[in-house]
Amino acid sequence: MLRIILVLLTALILVAPAHAQQSDFNTLLETHRAKIEKPSRTTISPVLEALATSQSPGVAVFLEKWREKQLWQRKADGRFFYVEKADGGKLKLIDVDTGAEAGLAEQAELDNLKPNSGVRAMIAAKLVQFQLSDPDPERRLQALTALERDANESHLSILRAAIEEETDPAIKARKVRLQLLLTIKFGSDSANRVAAIRSFAGDPGVDARAALNPLLATSVKVFDTAPEDVNVAKILTPGSDIEQDAAYQLLVDAGKARPIVPLAERKQALIANIKDGVVGGVPVAELVTQEARDRAYLALAATGAVPPLVSRDEQRSAVANHVFTEVYAEPDPALTTAARETLSDISTTVGLYQFADLVLDSLSLASIYFLAAIGLAITFGVMGVINMAHGEFIMIGAYTGYVVQQIIPNYTVSIIVALPLAFAVAFLAGVALERLVIRHLAHRPLETLLATFGISIALQQIAKNIFGTQARPLTSPSWLDGAWVYNDVVSISYIRIAIFVLALAFLGLLLFILNRTRLGLEVRAVTQNPRMASSMGINPDRINMLTFGLGSGIAGIAGVAIGLFAKVTSELGSGYIVQSFMTVVVGGVGNIWGTLAGAGMIGSLQKVIEFFNPSNTLAAQTYMIIFIIIFIQFRPKGIIALKGRAAGD
Amino acid sequence: MQRSLFVRQPSVLIFIGLLAAFTIAITVLSEGFGLGLVSTSFIKILGKTLCLCLVAIAMDLVWGYCGILSLGHFAFFGLGGYMIGMWLMYERTKDIVIASLAGAELPATAEEIREGIGTQIFGVVGGAEIPVVWYFADSLWAQLALVVLVPGLLALVFGWLAFRSRVTGVYLSILTQAMTLALSLYLFQNDSGLRGNNGLSGLQNIPGLTHLPQAVVSVWFFLASAFALGVGYLVAAWVVSGKFGSVVRAIRDDETRIRFMGYPVEAYKLVVFTLTAVIAAIAGALYYPQAGIINPAEIAPIASIYLAVWVAIGGRGRLYGAVIGAATVSLLSSWFTGGQAPSIPLGFYTIDWVDWWQVLLGLGFVLVTLFVPKGIGGLFDRLVRKDAS
Repeated sequence: MLRIILVLLTALILVAPAHAQQSDFNTLLETHRAKIEKPSRTTISPVLEALATSQSPGVAVFLEKWREKQLWQRKADGRFFYVEKADGGKLKLIDVDTGAEAGLAEQAELDNLKPNSGVRAMIAAKLVQFQLSDPDPERRLQALTALERDANESHLSILRAAIEEETDPAIKARKVRLQLLLTIKFGSDSANRVAAIRSFAGDPGVDARAALNPLLATSVKVFDTAPEDVNVAKILTPGSDIEQDAAYQLLVDAGKARPIVPLAERKQALIANIKDGVVGGVPVAELVTQEARDRAYLALAATGAVPPLVSRDEQRSAVANHVFTEVYAEPDPALTTAARETLSDISTTVGLYQFADLVLDSLSLASIYFLAAIGLAITFGVMGVINMAHGEFIMIGAYTGYVVQQIIPNYTVSIIVALPLAFAVAFLAGVALERLVIRHLAHRPLETLLATFGISIALQQIAKNIFGTQARPLTSPSWLDGAWVYNDVVSISYIRIAIFVLALAFLGLLLFILNRTRLGLEVRAVTQNPRMASSMGINPDRINMLTFGLGSGIAGIAGVAIGLFAKVTSELGSGYIVQSFMTVVVGGVGNIWGTLAGAGMIGSLQKVIEFFNPSNTLAAQTYMIIFIIIFIQFRPKGIIALKGRAAGD
Repeated sequence: MQRSLFVRQPSVLIFIGLLAAFTIAITVLSEGFGLGLVSTSFIKILGKTLCLCLVAIAMDLVWGYCGILSLGHFAFFGLGGYMIGMWLMYERTKDIVIASLAGAELPATAEEIREGIGTQIFGVVGGAEIPVVWYFADSLWAQLALVVLVPGLLALVFGWLAFRSRVTGVYLSILTQAMTLALSLYLFQNDSGLRGNNGLSGLQNIPGLTHLPQAVVSVWFFLASAFALGVGYLVAAWVVSGKFGSVVRAIRDDETRIRFMGYPVEAYKLVVFTLTAVIAAIAGALYYPQAGIINPAEIAPIASIYLAVWVAIGGRGRLYGAVIGAATVSLLSSWFTGGQAPSIPLGFYTIDWVDWWQVLLGLGFVLVTLFVPKGIGGLFDRLVRKDAS
């Protein structure tokens, strides 16, 4: 009982002042009616100010409706209403203060207020103030996002005021950060701005750099003597810091020197002055060298027919007599110094984060290469054959994933089904290939290479005939969309994390199979010495078949993984085959750790080269391959070479 | 020496005789010089096929006789094409630029002509400057020398690196494939100076011979290709028939034993590798003026694998086998992919050879490897043996 009374009391207390203000707001609108009716950019400011200071709860909605041209005025008494459509073409009036219905009216009885765009922009700016302290955190965030994108000087004080009332710590942090950024941009007090600039030291955010970089914008200017009243970034030495020609052009632009006549204009002048096949005393037919043309032009200039040339010496002395400086657009040296120092500090931090990002990228690429190459490495190690169709097993896996998705529409379920199915399909294809072709080419590795190439082109073309040449999508489940973002520099997509986990899982699984199971024991035995193994009762044919199937099956899994981020085409596999070969060759044959090392090296190498030459991934691949060719010189058997009898061939 | 060559390689005389007869017959039947029964486009196909036969001979030397399965010889072929293509394109563009500047009020200066050529050739890759690699492009003799020198040097350096570190077998194949891939990726870049993926085009227009119809020029190139093939066959036969050839074959069969016998195995391999690269480059230099266009896709690793496939189908270790393989497969290939082969209706599905030729080639190739390891050329061996017995 007591609780109910308390609630009622609280409600009363909350409602009472609101009630009292209603009439205030009405009167307020009444006072400014004329200016609200016909607003203009020059007269609207005091009205907005008065509305904002009134603290009435209806003001925010009022401003919003006004801006969106949804405010109506009754012609009879000049009162403002919001409207809703009612039956019979009539409009239902809604009181601006209470939100209560205030009867119906014909459309003709009302005027719709449509402020022009300038006024609406001013209303919107005013609205920010209300939105920033809106009780709904979602709307506050929206307002902040809008401000981050586009803010002006007036928002700074509004934002500062809004920080104090903020209760949500996350939003408050964002507000503080934005306030600092705006201070850098619009602040009036130099010390304040410097403090704001310094506060971003070591901050890798893009917004911080975006705020700081404009402060350091420079332009090259010419002075007769060393300047004193400008904020100089650097004094330029003509010839080293600035080209002689560019320096002279600056002088010309500043009106401090005579303009050079460009080559094209000189040619036009010559053409214009041809008389009877002769120009400047030189026959036209002789003007086949620049030297002859210059001679003719000088002769013309001597007669005054064309503007004279500016000699090299004249240019040089004119340049030498002036001072060329890079001048900051920002006049305050304290600001530019602070910005420069902060930016260099930031660039150190960003460099560290970029390195971390590079490591993540390399790991991700390495895990893809590992998945693509490990199957190849196993078959190569055990049987000594290169399977050129390995890339097509990757493709088979990817298409299996695609077909499964056509049947099972749920992406999560379809991926879970596709992974083992891709393994099974590729496993069967591998076993078939081994039994039908490779077994009959035992001890002829080069023929095997070419025969599997034949299989490869046949499989590719068959896939093209079945699925067409256009890329087929293999959609990842929605929980793999997006990316893990640590800050503006370090991020990695969830798909790549998933592939990394998948690669780790297969690394573990293969290590387990090879080191802890009977099959693994036999595989290792055949790898090391097939004849000895067979005399110990191991059937090498069976082992070869199973290993080949296992290697192909993993390629199938890799296909599903690759298909998730690349489009599935019949050429999907061949894009990875050469990299897979490289991985195996660099890593060393017949050893999981070798393949891991090879994949790690090739992946990180490619990413590092791309990092230094980001615009040109083709060049990155070229350099990488050249590097590998050189690497093979020093370790012909790969990073991890088998020792002893197994190494002999 | 001459006598012993023909005695040891009886196929040389037969081959050169057949080639000469074929060449004369085609020339007589051509549009340019004779009855006009063979179309110009077919003459071009035949001329190109002869060049492919020549590069197949090179491949057979290096693989069939020396045991190095190089997956990079088509890269040398393409490089040769690029070298001659630079001269063809530069000179032709120069003619065009001079013709277009001829009407101007002032006669053009050398700089203006160079600038015009630069814009014409490199406008597509967003440049106007003529890159350094085109330094000799205005000289036919220099570019002809480069046809031999550039691929030869590349093969020399690459081979030296590879053989020195005793890379053999499939490792070497993969390494050569890597070289090919690196080269083609490099050429794909716009700033490689060779027009990126646009490649060089308009190569069928021979500067200085533009007044002649293509019907005549194509026959000339056909004859030149036939001559080059004949000489190439002769050189290859000479190389494999003497003592040098014996050592090379011995290296193929047991490299370690030859090394223990005191032969510098690496030097022999390097000579064969470089020589065949040069032959491939010459074949390429004759091929691309007939094809009219060359781009980095021609150098892609798959082309070199196809080359190995031709030689394998034709029969390794027999020079005529390489020629037969290259001619058969490339002619069949253009017949099937050209849409001329009749489709086979099966009722529920129609086999369209444009789509299924690759499958047929791939599987056919597997069957040849499995069941006819000596290739088509091996069938001749049987005939000869039957005659002898």
